[in-house]
Parts: sequence; C-alpha cells; structure tokens
Amino acid sequence: MGLQIAIDTGGTFTDVVAIDRTTGAITAVKTPSTPADPSIGLLDGVRKVLAEVGADDADLDMLLHGSTVATNAVLEHKFAGLGLVVTRGFRHMIEIARQSVPDGYGNSFFWVKPPRLVPLHLVREVPGRMTFEGAEIEPLDEGAVLHAVRELVEDGVRCIGVCLLHAYANDAHERRIGELVRAEFPDVFVSLSSVVLPEYREYERAMTTLIDVLVKPYCKTYLQSAADEIRAKSGDIPFLIMQSNGGVVKHSTAGEKPVTMLLSGPAAGILGSIHMARLAGYKDILTVDVGGTSTDVAIIEDYAPMYTSSSMVESYPVKTPMLDIVTVGSGGGSIAWVDPYGQLKVGPRSAGADPGPICYGRGGTQPTVTDAAIALGRLPSALIGGAIRLDDAAARGAYEDLGARFGLPAEEVAAGALEIAAVNQVFGIRQVTTTRGREPGAYAMVAFGGAGGLFATEVADLLDIRTVVSPPNPGNLCAFGLHVSDVRRDYIRTLVRQQSAADSGEILGAWTELAATGLADIEAEGIAPERIRIQRIADMRYFGEGHEVQVTIPEGLAGEAALAHLWDDFHRVHDQTFGFHYRDKQDVEIVNLRIQAIGEQSRPRIQADSTARAPAAPFGSRRAYWRRTGWVDCPLYRRTELALGQSVSGPAIVEEYGSTVVVAESWSVRADPFGNRILEKSL
Amino acid sequence: MTDTQRTLGPIELEVIHGTIRAAELEIEAAVERTARSPMIRDQHDYRVALFDAKGRKLTGRSYSAIVEPVFQYFGADDIHPGDVFFWNDPYNSCGGIGHVPDLCTTVPIFLGERLIGFSQVFGHHDDIGGAVPGSLPVHATDSWMEGTMIPPIKLYERGKLNAAAFRIIVRNSRLSEHLAGDLDAEIGAARLGSRRIVALAERYGIDTLEAAFDQILRNTAEVFRREILPKIADGAYTFEDYIEHDGVDEDRLHALRVTMIKTPDRIVLDFTGTDPEAKGPINWALDEAEGRYFRKWLAPTLRSLADSPERAAEIDSNEGVLDVIDVVFPEKGTLITPTFGKPTGMRFFLMLRTLGAFAACLSKATGGRMPADHETIRIWGVTGGRRQEDFYLFREVLGGGSPGRPWADGSDVVHIVPNSKNLPAEFSETRYPILVEELGLKQGSGGPGYHRGGFGYDKRIRVLDECRLISNADRSLLGCYGVNGGKAGENYQVSVIDAEGEETVHPGMSDTVTVPAGATIRVVTTGGGGWGDPLARPVARVVADVQCGLVTESSARHDYGVVLRCEGRIWQADLAATEAQRAGLAKARGIPAMFDRGPYFAALKAAGKVARPEGFPDPDAGWFARPVA
Repeated sequence: MGLQIAIDTGGTFTDVVAIDRTTGAITAVKTPSTPADPSIGLLDGVRKVLAEVGADDADLDMLLHGSTVATNAVLEHKFAGLGLVVTRGFRHMIEIARQSVPDGYGNSFFWVKPPRLVPLHLVREVPGRMTFEGAEIEPLDEGAVLHAVRELVEDGVRCIGVCLLHAYANDAHERRIGELVRAEFPDVFVSLSSVVLPEYREYERAMTTLIDVLVKPYCKTYLQSAADEIRAKSGDIPFLIMQSNGGVVKHSTAGEKPVTMLLSGPAAGILGSIHMARLAGYKDILTVDVGGTSTDVAIIEDYAPMYTSSSMVESYPVKTPMLDIVTVGSGGGSIAWVDPYGQLKVGPRSAGADPGPICYGRGGTQPTVTDAAIALGRLPSALIGGAIRLDDAAARGAYEDLGARFGLPAEEVAAGALEIAAVNQVFGIRQVTTTRGREPGAYAMVAFGGAGGLFATEVADLLDIRTVVSPPNPGNLCAFGLHVSDVRRDYIRTLVRQQSAADSGEILGAWTELAATGLADIEAEGIAPERIRIQRIADMRYFGEGHEVQVTIPEGLAGEAALAHLWDDFHRVHDQTFGFHYRDKQDVEIVNLRIQAIGEQSRPRIQADSTARAPAAPFGSRRAYWRRTGWVDCPLYRRTELALGQSVSGPAIVEEYGSTVVVAESWSVRADPFGNRILEKSL
Repeated sequence: MTDTQRTLGPIELEVIHGTIRAAELEIEAAVERTARSPMIRDQHDYRVALFDAKGRKLTGRSYSAIVEPVFQYFGADDIHPGDVFFWNDPYNSCGGIGHVPDLCTTVPIFLGERLIGFSQVFGHHDDIGGAVPGSLPVHATDSWMEGTMIPPIKLYERGKLNAAAFRIIVRNSRLSEHLAGDLDAEIGAARLGSRRIVALAERYGIDTLEAAFDQILRNTAEVFRREILPKIADGAYTFEDYIEHDGVDEDRLHALRVTMIKTPDRIVLDFTGTDPEAKGPINWALDEAEGRYFRKWLAPTLRSLADSPERAAEIDSNEGVLDVIDVVFPEKGTLITPTFGKPTGMRFFLMLRTLGAFAACLSKATGGRMPADHETIRIWGVTGGRRQEDFYLFREVLGGGSPGRPWADGSDVVHIVPNSKNLPAEFSETRYPILVEELGLKQGSGGPGYHRGGFGYDKRIRVLDECRLISNADRSLLGCYGVNGGKAGENYQVSVIDAEGEETVHPGMSDTVTVPAGATIRVVTTGGGGWGDPLARPVARVVADVQCGLVTESSARHDYGVVLRCEGRIWQADLAATEAQRAGLAKARGIPAMFDRGPYFAALKAAGKVARPEGFPDPDAGWFARPVA
C-alpha cells in the first residue's frame, strides 16, 4: 500500500488526511495540537491515521505538512534574545518604521505604537555602504562587525538579523558578516536580508529578516525532530512542508528560511479549493473559508491564485511571496451581543473553539452565530454522526433572552444575528474585491471550513454571486490541499532599470542566473528536470511611482521577445490593477525580477463516482425559520445520497458527517461526481 | 410583510450602520487604487464621506467634510442624477476647503428621482498651479499666488462632462496628467459609495433608511454625552497657542485664543481674541455655515478622554457631534476669519493649533487628563533639475513625536494622517540624486514627563546635485507644550551642512534656499510634549531610555533627577543619589506648572514680548500640575 499523509497543524486541532495512492481512498482524522512542540501532535496524527487505515509505518510513502505554528510563535511575543545589525546611520530604522498610524484621522493623539521586535540597545550599526546600483562606497569594517556581534552575544542575543542598505543590489557585506558570525559564534542563529528577501525597502526587509530568525530555532528544531522520527520508522521518504506561497519544499529547506511557512495552512486550503472547483468546472472563484473566529477570503482567476508580498503579522510586515489571502468578518463562533447603547452587534468577539457556542454544552454562555443557526432549525441537533449532541434548547433560550431586550421573538433576533454575520462577511469580501478592482458577481464561491455552508447563499445573494460550491469534507480542505501541491520556490532580485535606458542583456542575464539557481534547487528537492517549470515575473511601475504591479512572461517566450512583451503588457496590467495607464506618455521601470521555480508532483487521483442511483428522497423534515417567510417545513437530505442529475430546490437542508449545507429559498442544490455539492441561484 | 415595509428595528439599524462604515472603507480603497498623486497614494492625504439628503455627514472615520456648498450655490431644485459637483476655493466652500491643492468632488445620490444623500471625496493633489511647484508657496501674500481657485461648479451636468471647465482646471497644473487622473479616481470612488447607499434604499425603503440615519447621528451624540462629557468639569477655561512666523512678516507670535465653556451636555468654543489675519499663508477661512466644518474638525479631540485608547478609536465622529459642540467666531479679519484673498496654503499649522488649544482647555477641566501637544504635519523636500525633462519634486510629509498621555509615553515619529508613510531610503536614493546618511530619532527631543513625549526625526541627506530646499514647517522656534507638569518637546529645525562641516540653520518656512552639490541637509522634527511630572517617572524607564541612547545621562540627571553610572555597557541608577537629586530638584522647583511651552517661549515672556488684548489674562498663570496617581 502506498500511503501519503497530509498534516495541517492549527492552533487547537491538527487535521490529518491520508490518501491511498493506489485506490484513491481518503481517510481523515483529527487530533489535538501540541504548540510547545508541534512534532508531537504531528507524529500523533500519523499514528492515528495509520491505525484508522489499518496500515503500518512501512506503508508511508510521503508526508506533507502545513501549519500556522510559525505565525503563532510570532503572536506569542516571545522576542527575547533577538538582535539586529544595520548600516551606520540607520540604528533607529525599526523604531521609526514607516511613521504610519492605523485607522482614523487624528488617532496619533492616543494610539500607542506596539513594541518593536528588537529593543534599541540590541541594534548595532556597522560602517560599510553600497549604492543602489551595488557599488561599494565604503568598505565593511570587519573589526566593527566582530565587536558589535560580541557585545550582542554578551548581552544575551541568540538570533541575529542582518539588514544593510542596498544589500539586494550587492550582498557582499552581508555575506561577509554571515561568514564572520558563523566562524566566531557557531551557536548563534543568523538570517541575512539578502537571503531572506533581496528586495528594496529597508524597513520591510529588516522586519521580514527578523521574523525569519525569530522563528528559526523553534521551526528548525521541531521539523528536525519530526523528520528524525519519521526516518527511523518509515525510511527516507519525502517530508515536504507547505509554504505561504502555496508550494512545498523539503523540511530542511523550510527550516533554513522558516519565514516562508508563516501562513502555510490557509495556503493549502486555497490549493484544495482550486482542485475541487476545477473538477466542478469553475475557473474563476472566490474562496470563503469560514472558521470559528474569522473567515479567510481569496480570489482565484483561471485556476490561479493571486500573490501578494505585503502581508502583516499583527503590526509587523512580512514581505515574502504569499498567496493573497485576507482575513475578514465573522465566523461560526462570533458572539451576538448588545452594546451599552442597546445596539445589536455580532462579533468581533468570538467564543472560539473553547468554550465554543452554547449548544456545544462546554460552558459557553454567550449566543453565537452557530447557536442562531440551531435556534432557527438550520442545523441538526447532533453533529459528526451523532458523536456530538447539540443543546438546541439552550441555544434557543439564549436567543429568547436576547430577543426580550428588543421585544422580539427568539427566531427573529436569531435570524437577525445570522443576517448581520452574513453582512459583516460581505463587507470584508467587498473590501478584498474593491481593493483589487474586481466585481464579486463574476465569480463562483467555494465555501468551506467548519461553518462554510451555514449562510453561504445569504452572503452570495448580497454579492450577486449565483453559484456556491461546497467541496467534500469542507472542514478538512486545508489538509486535503496539501496532497495537490507542487514543489515551489520563489526568487527575487531588485534591479531598477528604466525602459528608455535598459540594457536587455543585463536584465536577461540576471534572470538567467536566478533561473539557474531555481532549477538547481528544485532538482535538489528530488524533482526530475523535465517536470520543472520556470515562471518569469517582473515587478514594474511608471517612473516616479512608489508601487509596482506584476507582469508575467508567458511560457515559450524568451530573450528579446520576452522583454518586449513585458514593456508592452505592463500598460495593460497597470490599467487592470489601478484603472489607468500612461502608454506612450511615461517611462516604464522594472523594479524587481522574480522567478517562480515549480516542480510538478504527481497528484493522487480523485475518483469520479458516476454510479447511477435513484434520486434521493428526504430522510425527514425539520421546521426552519427564514426572516422573509417565517417558519417552514424543510426537507432534510443526506449529502451522500444526492444523485447525479438530481436538483433539490430550497428551502432544504443537506446534512453530512462533518458539516451542514443550508439551501435557502430561491436556491437549488445538485451533486457532481467528485463529491462537490453545487448550489445555484434560481432564475 | 415585504422588506420595504419593514420599519427600523435593531437588525436593520446595525446592517445600515455597518454598510455605511464599510462603504467608507470601500471608497477609501477605491481612491487608493486609482489615484495618481503620491500625496494621495502614498501619504494618504485624502478624505471620504457619505451624507444624507440634508447634507448631514453619516460616516465617522475622517475628521470633517461638508456638502453645504451644493445647497448654497445650486439649491435643491438644481441637483440632478448624474451631476458631479466640484470645488477647491477656500473662500467659497463653507469652510470645507483649507487650501487650493485640496480638490473636492461630490456626487448626489438618487433613488429614482429622489435625492437620498451625497458621496464625497477630496484629496491633496500634487499641483494646481501658483508660484511654486506643489502649490504651497511660503511667501504668498494672496490667494492667487497659491494656485487656481475653482468655486463650486458642476463638473458633470446630468452625466455630461463640462469639458471646458475640465480643460481649464487641468491646464493650470504643472502635473496635468496626474490631476486629470486624480479627478477620475475621485469621481469613480464617490460613485461606488453612492451605489452602496442606493442598495440600502432599495432593500429597506427610504423611510426606514432615513430613520436609521437619524438614529445613527443621535447615537453618536449620546456616546459623547455619556462617555466623555461627564469627565469634564463645568466652567469656563481659556488657552492660547501660537504660530511663530507667516513666511512674509518678521517672526512674531500669531495667537489663536479660545475660551471653552462647558455645561452638562454641551461645549462652546469661543475664539474671540484670536489675532488678526496674517499677511502670509497661515490663515484658515472657517467662518461659514455655522462653523459646521470647524465643529466636526474639533470634536474628535474629545475621544482622548474615552476609557481606553482602543475605545477612543471606535468612537465615530459624524454630524451627530454638532449636538455637543458649538463654536463662536471672532469678528471678520482674524486668523480663522480672514478676509477674501488672504493666503491659506499653510493652514495646517492652525489645524493642529486649534486641536492643541482645545485639548489644553480640556486638560484644565479634567485635572490634566488629556494628552500633551504634538505637531505632525510639515512638508519638506528638494526640487531640482535643469530642464523640464529632468525636473523633479521630492517631497515628504515627516511626522513628529506624539504626545505623552496619561496612559503611555508618546510614540516616535508618527503622522496625524492615517496610514501616511515616509519614503524608504532605498526608494529615495534610486529615484532622486540624494544619499540618505542618517535616518534617526532626535535624541532628547521628546518632552520630559512621567510619560515623556515621543521623539522626532533626525534625518540627514547629502544632495548629489544642486537643488532647492523646500520646508513648510511651524514649531521651529516654539516647542509642543507639555501638560500636567510634563515639559515641552524640542522644536523643528532645518539646516544645511556644507563640505567643511559648517551648519547653517534656515527658517521653517523656506523655499528659496539653493543647496550646492555635496552639502548635507539636516531635518530635525518636533518631539511630543511630555505628560506628568518627570521627577515621578519610574527610574527603570529613565534607565532604559539612556541605555537605548534616546535620553542623555545629563537629561536623566537634570530633567528626571535620576543619577546614573555606567558599568561596562550597562547603565544603572544610583538609587540613593537619585532620591536626593529628585528631592533637591523638587524643592527648587516647587509645584510644576500645568503647561510648559519650552525655553524660546519662556525667553519671549521674560523679555515682555508676549502681548495680549485687553481682557485676556495669561492663560497659563495659576494652573498647576496634579500629582500623578
């Protein structure tokens, strides 16, 4: 038996999905996460799913892993032992940051800047200066470097970030500092900005470098101990780590640059969505991952996710290439409450996983969105095949109390809470689409996560979206997505050149160098050269602008033709992104050259189930409440029983083991052969 | 029951209010995506707002905005679907436009033929003509030198572009392409906002929607009445603060004077006694439309009295604040009631002075529970090039230290405009012929205090080619005041250091200084005022500041009374010596004053150069700090 196992480690639970490569059979289990040492939960997950499948260690062919543990390590604010080395004159760089104050006008009066990652007395300056073109105008003072690092180590520093001005243009000084530190202080962890992010903007590069070195001891250690144990039991099998860019690399590669794995769990969910949407026949989608506390949104066009390099972890910028995923609005655990002025609110406070909604009976006392769904009859009173009993009376009671505050019946205020939750999601989704110049109505929505099916059609109605895809096992899509990933690494080099004065040879030469590195690195990941694709992308802007757009060179174009495409297509992309262009009026500038090196992995086949079967009949009915129509009897269907070609009109409720899909009035649902359930707006 | 018949309940109100808040953010996102001027895109100097059909501002994030000019200049029967109103005239905008680079676009919102509201965007554009690039000449003596003035017009009439007006406006900018693009961006964003309001009207009906608008405004007034006003003792309180130069006359104090009268449910700010209008561009024309713009500008200052900074950030400031705040203007011809044609380009000095003077009155009325003063808007830069083709304008809005406040030290180098960013050295050096030699904080610039002020910049730039220096800055002589025993922050300073190391200080308002290639320009920005008695500041925090090099050993000893010694690299306090030093300083000083305005002001005062009109006593006299709890 050839088994590949994917482990998605979240803050509370670790999701595990195993796929048998010969039969395509999928097995999913869940186990608690172990934040102190994530390798424990990871290995527990492996053991548990092997037992469930009835396989043993020798059957394991490949292990894939995504997580948010690196992000959580940053969020816990354990910054002790961190030091920073910068160019002379820039000691206050991270204190100053970008001088910006968030939110409203005038908040500078009362807003308090969050603590910096490194206190000022652990920042050291060293003489040595490059120009933006990479010319040395002052040599590095190696004596000063050693002196500075020695002092930092004496003051308790274990992890050092190095960020010198214009190191993206010439990394010689940073490399030399790296060599000196490794030679003299072998126990100290070092990250160089020219390795982590060779891109201009010194503050953001310094912060990304610091986040990298901050999580390095933790990530490297747990990945190594997991790898050692796996190797001892299952031999030298691939152990691949998802990165925030949506590609996987070997665990040892990830450990060297752990900043790339910050948001790898959600990134895998995007891959899973794309895979299932493609099978269902949709190429432009909005993914909506509804969790307990919040919802993650991403835009996919022509099966391709968007990328960003301007994410934040709390108030700290992280600029490595990531899938463009935005966290918005509310989740299933968001709490409905009344503010001191008597206004009904939903969120942003959440009951989270612990204690969770009232209906879980684990000590939750405040009514949540999930409780509203129960009170309205939209959720069954038992979840996960009866394993979890839901206390619908308690949920209803809480909404009776809330309704009494307004003189409204329980169902009216519960339906209102659900409506406000839906509207909050709409606000967040519109912010995502408007910022990127898109109209949500042009997309199909893929709704997943534990609460993905609860009010998806209500959200879709408000956005003029006419199709909602509910993938199979919507609660496990992140772990599933790991199985359909490719090996991928990103390379970047800042090279600022104007079109009017550009030397094509220089630009193409720099790209060739990056591509050669990418090819070699992906081969080293064990991918055969014929399965490696190199994608060339340039960050470009009009001369004088402070923001860039990304222009991609289509496969097959090379040399001068590729460059000509860039200079030309830039105007179109700029127009699409910002709504205007200056074609033939203003000089164009290349800013960064990028390479995506992608090594294609063979994907497990999801078997189509085209068995003809009789149309499903309702297995029962339940009274459910809608604000427009009041209480109605809703037929209940089992998700797995829906037959191909069968269309069920709402209102109806489709139940399954892990989650429930609510089909509202004027919507219908049908099945596809791949386990998707597709909701469509009636005309 | 159909949707449109439904009356206003808690769910409708929350959805409608939420939609308005979200629409405000969405309009902002649209402006940022499509605008072209760096002042708008990168420094975020623009505001958006939604209004009801009566012209009441519904949105709460930005300080102020007004659509009154539409009613005044066109009237109710000349507002039609497809119209786009436009103006930038500081003397014909009901106080809503301070200086000509702010171009204001307003779209009426209709449901069918019925007017249901307005959507407005205004932004600071790069250039609208006038005597110098950037349209902020420091030596302007009238409005016409500052750029092109456009009184309220229809840029679109029932959907049809007024092409002649558009061409005239665009022709008058040195960066006409930018200007045209910015206008398109503003109109597009304002229209996007109007669609969200129309969707609400279709869903809930106009009656429900208007009932919700009323309730949203009432709720805001109620928040101020319940959470803020009870913390302010009833009574009358006066304060004054100054602009120290106007770019034209010789340096002298131009005073803004205010008397705050607080009653249980209302605040009246009377600016009688304010100094006469200035010859140079520091005036601000506000005295129109019952001061509605000015009142909405001032009210958010009250948010600093909320129970926490997090709560302060949640409090909306919409038209509802007019119920709790009123203003009385002085006679025509003062700094805030200038006669037509007086220049206004640097009115942002007064913007901050008005907030600071109001905050100081509140400090008096709350036992010193308000933040101290900060100054965060100044524009500096260089312009050069020999021909039109290599002409460049490098401009940066550099922040300053924020004030010490009852709950925290001031933050370093922040800007009052949200999300406004400085320019990375690695961008500036690539784009302009300069080398950033230092990007630092000015040591000791934050006013000492129990919570000290935040630090200003100390930025040094070597120019690689001859260029002209631009500095539009106030507080280059006076410091930002400290409160409740806190000391004033250090002032702004711009200087040129030549190849021999000789440093020449230039006035804060300069745009005619030629800087030779190879010289270094140094810009030091203001520190925030301190809050509370520095002698009460926890010793460990003083030690930490010295350890970080932000405060000198000498300042620790003389301003904070903390005696330090250094062992190796580690600074430690001598606790016994500190106790003695603090006791000695406290005895010599007595009870500290409520306000400190720094050494320049003290010298002026000692020399008898601070004059006041009849009936206006020294507002600082007799006010002392309360002990820090």
